[in-house]
Amino acid sequence: MDIKEILKNLTAAVGIGNIREATDIAGEYLSRFCDVSYGSDLGVIGRITGERDYTLMLEAHIDQIGFIVTDVDDKGFLTVSTCGGIDLRALPSRQVDIHGKKTVRGVFCSTPPHLSEEDVTFDKISDMKIDSCLGEKAKDIISLGDYVTFSSAFNELSGDKLCSKSFDDRAACAVLIELASRFEGKKPPVNLVFCLSDMEEIGLRGAKTSSFRISPDEAIAIDVSFADGPDINPEDCGKMCKGAMIGISPVADRAISDKLIRLAKEKNIPYQTEVMGKSTGTDADIISVTKSGIRTGLVSIPLRNMHSDCEIISVSDIISVCDILEEYIKAVE
Amino acid sequence: MIELLKKLCLIDGTSGGEDLVRDFILKEISDFCETSVDPLGNIIAVKKGKRTPKRKIMLDAHMDEVGLIISSITEGGFLRFKTLGGINTSALMFRSVRINGKINGVISGKPIHLTHGEESKKLPKADSLYIDIGAASKEEAEGMVRLGDRAVCISDFTECGENIISKALDDRVGCAILIKLIKEYNEYDFTAVFSVQEEIGLRGARVAAYSVNPDAAIIIEGTTAADISGVGDDKTVCNLGRGAVVSFMDRATVYDREYYLAAINSGMSVQPKRAVTGGNNSGAVHLSREGVRTVSLSVPCRYIHSASSVASLRDITSVFEVCKYMIDYIANDK
Repeated sequence: MDIKEILKNLTAAVGIGNIREATDIAGEYLSRFCDVSYGSDLGVIGRITGERDYTLMLEAHIDQIGFIVTDVDDKGFLTVSTCGGIDLRALPSRQVDIHGKKTVRGVFCSTPPHLSEEDVTFDKISDMKIDSCLGEKAKDIISLGDYVTFSSAFNELSGDKLCSKSFDDRAACAVLIELASRFEGKKPPVNLVFCLSDMEEIGLRGAKTSSFRISPDEAIAIDVSFADGPDINPEDCGKMCKGAMIGISPVADRAISDKLIRLAKEKNIPYQTEVMGKSTGTDADIISVTKSGIRTGLVSIPLRNMHSDCEIISVSDIISVCDILEEYIKAVE
Repeated sequence: MIELLKKLCLIDGTSGGEDLVRDFILKEISDFCETSVDPLGNIIAVKKGKRTPKRKIMLDAHMDEVGLIISSITEGGFLRFKTLGGINTSALMFRSVRINGKINGVISGKPIHLTHGEESKKLPKADSLYIDIGAASKEEAEGMVRLGDRAVCISDFTECGENIISKALDDRVGCAILIKLIKEYNEYDFTAVFSVQEEIGLRGARVAAYSVNPDAAIIIEGTTAADISGVGDDKTVCNLGRGAVVSFMDRATVYDREYYLAAINSGMSVQPKRAVTGGNNSGAVHLSREGVRTVSLSVPCRYIHSASSVASLRDITSVFEVCKYMIDYIANDK
């Protein structure tokens, strides 16, 4: 599998609210290696039957951050609400795709220089309008409840680093597709379920219902986490290109974390640990409390500029996540 | 016009680094006029018409766009920068940039999840931002970028009905209009200047005006339109779709009253610039030698100096038409 190609296709696609592009692309990839079934939301599940009746769920979320239109005025300016955590400070003059009757490009308004104030506070999304550039025709194309997403392109940086919107969490979706391909035509020791959940960004909602439906014996969530940069406290982040971040948290089952670490060491796979004092802010939080409780692990891909439209990841980190999880699957008892 | 404008906008050319824009323009116009390039890099293009006007007329549009200059490289391989021209910090945060027209990078800073309290609502200081090109070390970065190299925020060129979204509309709209004039307007002689270094202090136009030594000048620009949601009618300065913007005064120039009135009363699609803000090459040109009678015609642009400026094709056409009218007017003026 060309992981870069998968990443490019997955991040170019839109997956928010009722827009299923990303789900359809991920589902198409998974269907090459697994039995695929779709949920009523954006979710998609791939299954590979294993040697024995025990199910390991590998989970990532398919949805992306964005906005939902709450008002369209007569001059073509939109008021929106956020879907997921958005850095309001970086919105002015940012370009977005507005998914109305057709998809049109818009721009977040920025304050003109002669009206700019020194010490601006960015705290209300309702103050930040989107210019649809359509004037009075906007209402013909855009309706309340339409979704808006970042419009940035996919770029390659130095080394093996890539820059795009929606690597959170499409990078992890690519991990699941890559893992499924590695078990194509082989019978893994246990049943594997590759679960792409919806609505993580608005409160870990999709994973709640998908893990209820799948009801696995154990689960590992794959997400992204903060990578290093100047002015970022090294204790608050992982390191780019230093491998998979294995989560250690009260939420994450310690035996799973320990086993992931042991396998990484044994197989010489690059890894780093990420210790969290409470919940993880990922789907692992909700999967682990499904039904009577599910032992859940967390593995993250280091990522820079989280929730911006130019998130950065390294392909080598994604490969190390795949490698560790492949070993884990082979070693499930 | 739109294809020409698209090509011009997608070329990267910051102040003092206009080379690729200049090469493109020279190729476009050299069959239609006499061209020369002065020591600072301005293009001076002499276009012969059917008649020579009594007054020598100079037209100006600037080639440079706002951008960044790489000022240092950190031990970790990140690039620190200074701005070339006025760019708001919010227009820099988490933007994709292109360095030297080929190297991709991202202007980065602390992600909001790792900020605390008020810090998460305030713009960071511009000097806390840096460009991440993916280099893992200073050595790797130094192999790709030299100090003094240029970066611009990248953007698509998008048509939305009558409007365009792009970087560099200020002032590639002016360049496109001048190119079209050189190709299509044949009544009177004029000298077109495609100037360098406007954004860092009107530097190219100053020396070009000296060399050309005109009696009158028409400056073609992009100017701030604040006709956006939440801004009262008295503060919009000018509006998209209402035609060429004619200035009576800005922070750099008090314009020739007669020429201002001639343009405003032309009966064409024009609007006054309804505020005394900003400035353009007129500031340098009207004070050249013993003084030059100057008029400024601008295309209204929303979100100017960002990579997502918005302008209307209708206004660009209006500026083109009014510019022809003003050449005729100045040529025939007693």
